[in-house]
Amino acid sequence: MILNGEPVRIDAPEGARLLDVLRAQGKCAGVKDGCGEGECGACTVLIDGEAACSCLMFFGQVAGRRVDTIEGLAADPADPLIVALVEAGGVQCGFCTPGIVVAARALLKANPKPTRHDIQVGLSGNICRCTGYHRIIDAIENVISKPRQASKASRGRAP
Amino acid sequence: MSVARSRSKRTKVKRRGSSKKPRPEPTTVVGKSPPRLDGLGKARGSTRYVDDLALPHGLVGYVVTSRHAHAEIESIDVSEARAVPGVVAVVTADDVPGENQIGVIVDDQPLLVVDRVRSLADRIALIAACSREAAASAAALVRVVAKPLPGVFDPVAALDKGAPKLHPKGNLHAKMISRKGDLRKARKAADIVVENTYTTGHQEHAYLETNGIIAEPVADGGMLIKGSMQCPFYAQKSVARVLGVPHASVRAVQIATGGGFGGKEDYPSELAACAALLARVTGRPVRLVYRRDEDFAWSSKRHATVIKHALYAKNDGTLLGMKVEIYVDAGAYGGLSKVVAERANASAGGPYAIEHVEVDTYVVYTCNPFGGAFRGFGAPQVTFALESQIDALACRLGTDPGKLRFQNFVELGGRTPTDEVLEAKPWAAETLEIARRRCGWSSRRKEVAAHNSDNPDVRRGIGTATMSYGCCLHAGGQHLDGSASLVQVHPDGSVSVSIGGTEIGQGAFQVMAQLCAETLGVTLDRIRVTDTDTLAVPDSGPTVASRTTIMSGNAVLDAARQIRSRLIEVAADELGSARRKIDLRAGRVLCDGRKTKLSVADLIGRCYVRKVNLTQSGWYAPPPKTWNFERGRGQPYTLYCYATMIAEVSVDTVTGLVTLDKMTAVHDVGRAIFPAGLEGQIQGGIVQGMGYATMEHLAVHEGRILNPGFTDYLLPTSLDVPEIDIALIEEPYEDGPYGAKGIGEPSLIPVAAAIANAVADALGFRLYDLPLTPERVKMAWEAHVSLSLAPEPVLATVVTGFGSASSGGVVRGWR
Repeated sequence: MILNGEPVRIDAPEGARLLDVLRAQGKCAGVKDGCGEGECGACTVLIDGEAACSCLMFFGQVAGRRVDTIEGLAADPADPLIVALVEAGGVQCGFCTPGIVVAARALLKANPKPTRHDIQVGLSGNICRCTGYHRIIDAIENVISKPRQASKASRGRAP
Repeated sequence: MSVARSRSKRTKVKRRGSSKKPRPEPTTVVGKSPPRLDGLGKARGSTRYVDDLALPHGLVGYVVTSRHAHAEIESIDVSEARAVPGVVAVVTADDVPGENQIGVIVDDQPLLVVDRVRSLADRIALIAACSREAAASAAALVRVVAKPLPGVFDPVAALDKGAPKLHPKGNLHAKMISRKGDLRKARKAADIVVENTYTTGHQEHAYLETNGIIAEPVADGGMLIKGSMQCPFYAQKSVARVLGVPHASVRAVQIATGGGFGGKEDYPSELAACAALLARVTGRPVRLVYRRDEDFAWSSKRHATVIKHALYAKNDGTLLGMKVEIYVDAGAYGGLSKVVAERANASAGGPYAIEHVEVDTYVVYTCNPFGGAFRGFGAPQVTFALESQIDALACRLGTDPGKLRFQNFVELGGRTPTDEVLEAKPWAAETLEIARRRCGWSSRRKEVAAHNSDNPDVRRGIGTATMSYGCCLHAGGQHLDGSASLVQVHPDGSVSVSIGGTEIGQGAFQVMAQLCAETLGVTLDRIRVTDTDTLAVPDSGPTVASRTTIMSGNAVLDAARQIRSRLIEVAADELGSARRKIDLRAGRVLCDGRKTKLSVADLIGRCYVRKVNLTQSGWYAPPPKTWNFERGRGQPYTLYCYATMIAEVSVDTVTGLVTLDKMTAVHDVGRAIFPAGLEGQIQGGIVQGMGYATMEHLAVHEGRILNPGFTDYLLPTSLDVPEIDIALIEEPYEDGPYGAKGIGEPSLIPVAAAIANAVADALGFRLYDLPLTPERVKMAWEAHVSLSLAPEPVLATVVTGFGSASSGGVVRGWR
């Protein structure tokens, strides 16, 4: 498969969960195992650009396909989405956050100007137990309202 | 489709009369919302949780639990399990080198089963293997010969004479009371009695990261524990006890923790003991991380309760008395149930002046999933009952529920329901007043009534609830209520801070960093808060009871202020100025309010040259409390914080679905150190409380959880969130760090009560059982319609209940 832009060859059983294969090869610990049944979205990855729960995918299903994980998508620490999430206070325990970043990426790719309701729908496959979601949704709104100055925009907001 | 938004306002409330307190000094870091120091690592996926750490030569731990909810164990045979390839060890009670006992408060719980199982979470054996698959194969080969016994599943019926006994002394684990005045007088003088029985279900914490621990043997026979937890000191003690080694030989380190909410207060110490035992027996590191279904099945829950409540009042609305019986379903072992019940017992009267009080709290053993700490710690249940009762009384009197509350709040100098004289101003009335104003209470009530008059299918409702919450540990736990810190200033001017509290997502480390930066006059980027480590700081108790900002915060200030005074002494000498003229702010040394040539980093360098010690431990213990345990009377807590929430709901009577449209929340917080985090706590608490109130139904049948996963146990998603309007009352608390109080639990406690009152407003009759699932609401509505009762709530008799312990199809009414 093409993992985060690099062609890789991994030896694993076809029937293994993609989640386990990604975590076991040592570079994708940001892909989290939250529920194991496709409900919490903590293990979200992009497969050929589309969000999927890696706990529900067999390793064999991604042969030859492009798989992007949080490690590849968040390689740049100044990435506006990540910066906006942190600045808006959308991160608490952090366990769901990588999955949310990946899901938000997929959402923004499919719909660069989502409404607040579109964002709610786009994130509805990701459970966050800490924040009550508001600040995560705010962060994504901040990114789309001022993509280049996301950080300034959120700093100026009332807390 | 309404789109949920959140807005917030920080309010300064003008005090009536003169206030002697000086206004707080202007700050540079405290009260600001900079990006969280741990945010970037978490958002980029580079923060390492327990399952992410490399563990060379490590083994996988696995727990084998009982197949019976209650049984006598005749034999356990692990020989076949030991023979499975890849299995390194299978241990049972016989292999415990120290004490086979992990009871936190009462010694009633073995780590591993000896001759009796009392719940499905009881551990028969532990397995260490090279892979989870090998361990699971071995688990299937553990042979147990057991004689099943009848179980006990209802906390009220468990106290019957004929009920099967789970423990030698019977099923009553603990009983406590609270007495004030003479209830007979209230009975005699009352014009009205409101009498109802309430039930609340279990709630699963559903922290996104399941429980997980790594145990690594160290050369001197000791053990290093790392993992997801709220109290490394508990883990240290339980491991030392089970291994039979001194506390000093066990080092417990809390690493990045993916949520706790109380669920990781006590349970990780059980898991740490399991992992440590396997590590000791095999001589290798062991990682024990639960799958989600295991976490559901074996970890603690919010206690299910049955609350029988009678409220005595006069026709003018004056509350006279309250008689409450609280039955707390502890599960098979005591755990923390006794202290959870103590809080329920002491909080039953809320913020009201009630002259005559009788509270009886029974903590009962059953074979159900065990109850433990969960955000609110017994308070959400009693708040739901009390606030429902107040609304029911308002309904009987035909008065505004808000007005009835104003009339009965304890005032400054008045006596609380536990007979404590309030010496600090209570903010209950202000929170209610502001909440009513912000949501437009009176006009919204009229709009709701108008809507309901011609909309039988989707009805609307508005409901309010006020609470007072005692921050920090109950008087019964005050021997644990001290907290430590260690602040170390490095030669380059950076600062490391260690505390005894833990960061479980709530932002505690951020608060500590901001407090320390403010006090030392350094910029926030110079501060690092390190993983909480039993070697770095002494026992500081657990991260619970909304106490970390106050306890650990004050401990950090204690250390930082001592270092600050040393810095100022050196600065004064360097600048040839008086000490009182020196100030340290945002990385600069100021003299008479003006910048000097010295930066704080330079000053720190000079201190090192002059051999001035810039490392300091800190300590804080709150003032002692006096509590009469026999009578349940006195001062149970150091301080109270207050909150009011007003819920606006829609109820679809065709499907039974309750939707929380808007929540207005007003909190007395002392002072917001990190407002973005504080408001994030409130938003998160509201959504978690909404789950508790409307959708999180843990289905338990004969001790077994029928929905142990996120597919069938419903959690709020981004599509369920209400509009949230937050207002903060910031009147500094004298003994709080920069005036702060706690927020973690108050953000959840009144939520279910406010929603239940709003649902009663919508339907025109009350439901008495949480959660208000669609099934329950629909059944109640249909019964209501089919009984063709008048929609007036006053004399409504309704059928409520769906599968809960005590309420299946019971017809209830008011006397």
